[in-house]
Amino acid sequence: MRASLFITCYNDTLYPETGRAVVSLLERLGVELDFHPKQTCCGQMHANTGFRGEAFCQAKRFVQLYRDTETVVIPSSSCVAMMRDQYPGLFEELGNESLRREFAALLPRVFELSEFLLDRLGVDDVGAYFPHRVVYHASCHGVRALHLGERPYKLLAKVRGLDLAQMANTDRCCGFGGTFSVKNAEVSSAMLAAKLQDVIATRAEYCTALDNSCLMHLGGAMHRQYAGMKTIHLAQILAATEDAPAEAIA
Amino acid sequence: MTAAISSRESILGRIRSAIQTPGMGLADAAVAYGALPRGYIQAGKLSREGTIALLIERLREYDAEVVECTPEELPAAIAAQLAASAKHTFVAPPGLPPSWLATGFDWKIDNDLDTAEIEKVDGVLTAATCAVADSGTIVLHHGPTEGRRVISLLPDWHLCILLASQVVETLPEYFDRVEQPPALATYISGPSATADIEMTRIKGVHGPRFLHVILVRDPDSPTQAPAMRPADTAPHKGR
Amino acid sequence: MTQSVADHPILDPRFAPPFPQAVLPVLRNPQLRKNVAHAIDVIQAKRGRLVAEKTDWQELRTAGSALRAHVLENLGTYLEQFESRCTAAGGHVHWAADAAEARQITLDLLRQHNASDVIKIKTMTSAEIQLNPFLEAQGVHAHETDLAEIILQLGEQEPSHIVVPALHINRSQVREIFARTMGLKNLSDDPKELTNAARRYLRQKFLTIPTAISGANYLIAETGGVGIVESEGNGRMCLTLPQTMITIAGIEKVLPRFQDLEIMLQVLARSATGERMNPYTSLWSGVTPGDGPQNFHVILLDNGRSEMLRRPVERQTLKCIRCAACMNTCPVYRQTGGHAYGSVYPGPIGAILTPQLMHMHHAQSLPYASSLCGACYEVCPVKINIPEVLLELRSQVVNQERRQVGRVFDLMYIGLRMANFLFTSAWRFHLAQRLGRIGARLVTRKDGWIHSLPSIGGKWTQTRDLRGLPDQTFHEWWAARAKEAK
Repeated sequence: MRASLFITCYNDTLYPETGRAVVSLLERLGVELDFHPKQTCCGQMHANTGFRGEAFCQAKRFVQLYRDTETVVIPSSSCVAMMRDQYPGLFEELGNESLRREFAALLPRVFELSEFLLDRLGVDDVGAYFPHRVVYHASCHGVRALHLGERPYKLLAKVRGLDLAQMANTDRCCGFGGTFSVKNAEVSSAMLAAKLQDVIATRAEYCTALDNSCLMHLGGAMHRQYAGMKTIHLAQILAATEDAPAEAIA
Repeated sequence: MTAAISSRESILGRIRSAIQTPGMGLADAAVAYGALPRGYIQAGKLSREGTIALLIERLREYDAEVVECTPEELPAAIAAQLAASAKHTFVAPPGLPPSWLATGFDWKIDNDLDTAEIEKVDGVLTAATCAVADSGTIVLHHGPTEGRRVISLLPDWHLCILLASQVVETLPEYFDRVEQPPALATYISGPSATADIEMTRIKGVHGPRFLHVILVRDPDSPTQAPAMRPADTAPHKGR
Repeated sequence: MTQSVADHPILDPRFAPPFPQAVLPVLRNPQLRKNVAHAIDVIQAKRGRLVAEKTDWQELRTAGSALRAHVLENLGTYLEQFESRCTAAGGHVHWAADAAEARQITLDLLRQHNASDVIKIKTMTSAEIQLNPFLEAQGVHAHETDLAEIILQLGEQEPSHIVVPALHINRSQVREIFARTMGLKNLSDDPKELTNAARRYLRQKFLTIPTAISGANYLIAETGGVGIVESEGNGRMCLTLPQTMITIAGIEKVLPRFQDLEIMLQVLARSATGERMNPYTSLWSGVTPGDGPQNFHVILLDNGRSEMLRRPVERQTLKCIRCAACMNTCPVYRQTGGHAYGSVYPGPIGAILTPQLMHMHHAQSLPYASSLCGACYEVCPVKINIPEVLLELRSQVVNQERRQVGRVFDLMYIGLRMANFLFTSAWRFHLAQRLGRIGARLVTRKDGWIHSLPSIGGKWTQTRDLRGLPDQTFHEWWAARAKEAK
């Protein structure tokens, strides 16, 4: 199986350890991974802030870079949601017929990481070992745009040593929302405070998710408040084994 | 009035230019209307007895008092309810059977009674058009046995006579039974209530605070179950 | 307790401060936030239970959505049908292009009937056109009759929700308002006693004031009928006892047929208050001799609505049935309540409706008052894709900014334009990463984290830290690994 990794702009810049974990995990599962060196951003930040023309340029660029790719795997559910929910409208309004055709052909081959593991590879036990208490943050885009449902829980259930905590109000937004977190910083912080209460109440050591954007938000507050909890992308948990624990990967 | 006419024309003009379907009239709309999806539950699945049991459960959830009787027992059942209310003066619509107006009480028959007079009575007795078990709703179309809207509004105590044959399970079943839309209709689902103060449900703001229902097991029921089975009378679950 | 001007919310989008500023007094008001969160949690729990028991909920949503979309596609046809049937049944239909015209028509009708006082059923259209202050200025006293509206009117407070307008006020605050304005010194804060006080206060008004104003939940084209959904019975009082009734309804409120209520009534109460059915639904067509008002007027209000029909994305806004499920589930509204939206329509629906009612000349901050979490779309009983409309309106706001000279001083605008320049070339993007890494070293502490950023970044670091930039980006690591392998 061949797949091409679209790492996303912020993971590339801020969370390379997540990318390294995806590589280690997928190679362990026998996937032959590619990385397109010209990739940048999916355009979500621009689209969500109202810069449709700019978002279109980036969306078009994505399709042009990946149109011949067998499978694209993306460790960020909000970026996948951007492609599924917003690319069609952008291309309808600003694109031409050939771009729309290319995109329609490409989209079914674009997978979020947990979709790729369960739906494409058909594995739920990836041989991971992570002896910690973990709580899963179901990000809004994962829950309501991609309908990931039980996928992340199925993966976590097979991780040896992992003690999965349950969070109250699990599908309530953490308040990140991209540029919302600075345009409406105070409301975003109030939402974050409410979310953090539910997260901390689980007494987990790690809060995990399929979006480093939410984790950047939650983790930033945990660090500020000496909350005694860390954030970790699900890929890093799944990549961890007895021989290569997550800390060593990160 | 010229300004009003021009606003009418300008609004309709803006609407028509916005949705760009000139010449679309009622006939075209009716065709599109006929194709609209209606995949929700139309007819209920409960037996006759199950439907009635559900209605009674719902009405009691609303704190309504419900008693059952046969058609022969009805006058006595009405008298018993009135007596138990400890009230004396009642208003009734003009079309009720005389046997319903129990003796020993002061009856005001509403032939255009004054509002002030209705305000003074203790309670009201009416029939109903239909009841929907699923939502515990009593339907009044304000015919001669249900009366003008004001008589079932001002008195604090309402005794409503419902025939078993008038009970349907789902709201669509009620609408199915309506051949001609009524000029007036009131759907009552429990007594007047508010939750405006801290979401605490308080019964009785302006409408009647006490709702009593006598359910009459009439034989005319078109879909009456041939025999009562114990399972049908069990409390309704799992919807 | 002193109340500063800043604490008193302005619900007129023309004058209200932008959302990020308007939230500040709210976020620092613990009582208001506790009241809002409590009310929302109660409604949400009830709604959740009652929606879960409805096995055909998704089919009802699909039917409701399709029906409302069909109405909007044939709006002119159905409005004309409503007009002719309502008129045939003895009603009078008036058309108001905007708020001012609707106010004037209302006033003219009240003058015709020599009304100095009028009783009102809670109506969003009346609040939208700011009818009460206008009537007051013209010497007509408008008496609200919904319990929450009385609390607000007597307490001189603003509504913060479209279904439960006083949810930000708790029982002790209600007690204070009623005790002061009704002269009831010994009133307790028991909701039952407070409700009884309102009942007594209004009874005489219902029996003596011969003119009433309402909104409409439904206009039924087939019958010319009007439908009102309520709980307390104040609606039935206003619909039954007065001689004259004036109904102010948005033009989008029409339904094709009487039978369509079988959809709308099943979704509305469940979504709005978490009940299987609201206690009272009243339907009437025109005038019925001997029963209810003998003079009946409907004012059909456009006020920006017809403009929203133009494009399918924005048109969805008009499918709304005002159930408030979107604000009840919204994580933003849960923190802020309604006042910060600066409009009588708060929450997600307000964030898309208000700027459009203002022809995008005001309330441009509202489309940004959302984290785009999608919860509103998930609960909407008529499937309005609110996030999609929010994004469309954001794009319109940005297009306005593009034409403004001041944009060159707007760091967010400049930053996003710059980011696009970087993201459209890998070479530029990678250069920016390297430069950013150097810059970040200046603000990164020894623990490897950034605790304080300048400019817009400071908005982030006011409540969160940010991990410092790693020494190697992912693509650099990949390239190095590939080189090693060779």
